[in-house]
Amino acid sequence: MLAFLRKNQVPLSSCFCVLLSIYILTAGARGQLRNEPLGAVVMWILRPLQVVSQGTVNWISGFRDNYDTLSGFKAENERLRKRVQNLEVERQKHLEAEATNQRLQQLLALRSHLSGTAITASIIANSATSWFQSCLLDKGSADGVRKGMAVVTPLGVIGQVVAVTARTAKVLLLTDANSGIDVLVQRTRSRGIVSGSLENGTVLKYMKRSEDVQEGDRLITSGMDGVFPKGLMVGAVIKVRKQHLGLFQFVEVLPAVQSARTEEVLVVAADNGAAKN
Amino acid sequence: MRLFLLFFAVGVLLLLLQTTFLHLLPVVPDLVLVLCVYLGLHHPTVGAALGSFLLGYSIDVVSSRMLGLNAFAMSLVFFAVYLSSRSIWLHHPVVSSLVVFLAALVKGAALVLAWVVFLSVESFWMGAARYIITEALTAAVLAPLVFYLLRRGEQFTMRFRAPAQ
Repeated sequence: MLAFLRKNQVPLSSCFCVLLSIYILTAGARGQLRNEPLGAVVMWILRPLQVVSQGTVNWISGFRDNYDTLSGFKAENERLRKRVQNLEVERQKHLEAEATNQRLQQLLALRSHLSGTAITASIIANSATSWFQSCLLDKGSADGVRKGMAVVTPLGVIGQVVAVTARTAKVLLLTDANSGIDVLVQRTRSRGIVSGSLENGTVLKYMKRSEDVQEGDRLITSGMDGVFPKGLMVGAVIKVRKQHLGLFQFVEVLPAVQSARTEEVLVVAADNGAAKN
Repeated sequence: MRLFLLFFAVGVLLLLLQTTFLHLLPVVPDLVLVLCVYLGLHHPTVGAALGSFLLGYSIDVVSSRMLGLNAFAMSLVFFAVYLSSRSIWLHHPVVSSLVVFLAALVKGAALVLAWVVFLSVESFWMGAARYIITEALTAAVLAPLVFYLLRRGEQFTMRFRAPAQ
């Protein structure tokens, strides 16, 4: 008997444990399990360890929650930053569109001011060297642009078309040394020629010494050259110098239009006649 | 005695892990079950059988609605593993995983049996099946690691004992 027990002690003890469990279960189900000292021992061993462990777990959970919160803030921050960037781009587009709209409205107003037809064009390139003052338009002969047409903006005269291809037109700016525009001093109606120069910028040529020209005088197209409609702003006098010798006085002019800052222009035919002002 | 202390410490540690740290994970792996399987395979003794019972009972004390449920399941698992241990040749991690997976199924079946007999819960089967499969899979995945650590712990204990002798 003892040998049998020794030989089968493991399966017997296992069976005993299983049966003991069933007994505990049954007693528990019947409510007969009042005193349960083993559980108290287990809890006595585990409780302090569990308190420490749970404290650590809570700390880790808190850390993780804080990290998640911070990650959320970071993601939100990143999202808002992108949103601000997008809005800034949108704002720039709107501002640009508004500015373009304003310019085009001014062009339209000028266009209605001029008799006959006018072609709206954009400046797509500027002169490659400083020897020449010219620019290139995105409209050409296919659009009705012809050599000799005047190029103007609501602010004033830009220049004259000197070469045309099917889709482009080259404009000689009034600041070029080879250009020449017949103008009137608005105040005195004295006539002269505005032209560019390599040395002194834009000047009013052929103004007699006896003519009354003062700084600040406005110069407008005379319409006598058969290129520019009469009454368009060309520039303003910024310097007058009468030399000891010579027939003419030296007059420096500030052009009304800075071609470098101009984007849209009107190309008008020479036979358009005078501007209505 | 040293082995008893080792497994006692490991049992307490695994209980602590299961009741605290591992709750940070979406699924709590049943590491105590892995320990019971290990005891059944490598230390089929009376002490190991009582140890399995105590481990299950401790789980009951800590977290079960009814005392004896896990004690019953763990005792049954130990017994089943003990009976099959002579025919299991455990030299590969995959085999240990498989054994733990099957042991988890046995434990699940035992728990279901005890639930059905001693507790009346509606809408029980789907949830039970999901728990059983999930626990069995996670325990099976972690089994090789736990087995490895237990073996290393035993080796350390043996080395520790040698100079004393």
